[in-house]
Amino acid sequence: MSEPLQYALFGLVAATVLVPAVLVVTVRNLVRAAFWLLPAFLGVAAAFLLLGADFLAMVQVLIYAGAIMLLLLFVLMLTRSPGDARVPQSNRLTLWAGVLCAALALAIVVITGASYWPVASSAPAPGFTRAVGEALLGPYLLPFEVASVLLLSAMVGAIVIARKEASR
Amino acid sequence: MSAIPLSWFLALAGVLFAIGVFGVLTRRNAVAVLMGVELMLNACNLNLVAFWRYLHPTALDAPVFVLLVITIAAAEAAVGLAIVLSVYRNFRGIEVGELDLMKH
Repeated sequence: MSEPLQYALFGLVAATVLVPAVLVVTVRNLVRAAFWLLPAFLGVAAAFLLLGADFLAMVQVLIYAGAIMLLLLFVLMLTRSPGDARVPQSNRLTLWAGVLCAALALAIVVITGASYWPVASSAPAPGFTRAVGEALLGPYLLPFEVASVLLLSAMVGAIVIARKEASR
Repeated sequence: MSAIPLSWFLALAGVLFAIGVFGVLTRRNAVAVLMGVELMLNACNLNLVAFWRYLHPTALDAPVFVLLVITIAAAEAAVGLAIVLSVYRNFRGIEVGELDLMKH
């Protein structure tokens, strides 16, 4: 890719991530906020693609844009209290939280911009998905299995917690 | 992919993280707080992938770690939302400011 095209793509991805993310935390209607999560997640997937991690981009679309957003929407619908769209959705901290978060973002941008990063000149080996699969079932087999057990226990735990209590 | 400096990706992730922190601090609804947490987790993943691509492109630690983070985020969302449902059933509301049972 030519350089101007890369910069244009990065700008597009950054806008696709940041503008919906701001709307997610500020929009009053929470269902709309949940839907604004979708472009933010897809933008992060596009950033993964820009960085050459195609498999992670697909996982991001499947898990975040698919599963987690669906869960959030379902719980929003199940817990909707009457007149929800009219009551304010932010607490009294908004001003100070905004100042604090702007300072945090500014500090991160300035520090990362001023730091020296020993960028490697080598490119990742071709066949990213295959390499990740072999790593998961090779040197990272134990974390992989622990993660699967964690998912199973989280599933059972979520069912137990969310289930209606049997009437006694 | 070498024209864009690494710090641009780090800045993008940092700003996304700060937006997530803002959501966690200011939202009243517990589900909206969880949305902020998801934004923060996404920012961390973006950081990890950027570091992998620019600093250690031949090692595979970062992609595997990102996969594990996504797994744990899914588990966290499932359990967290189940807790939200349970709280809603018991208190008829999920405003985080009003859940002060353990204070009394």
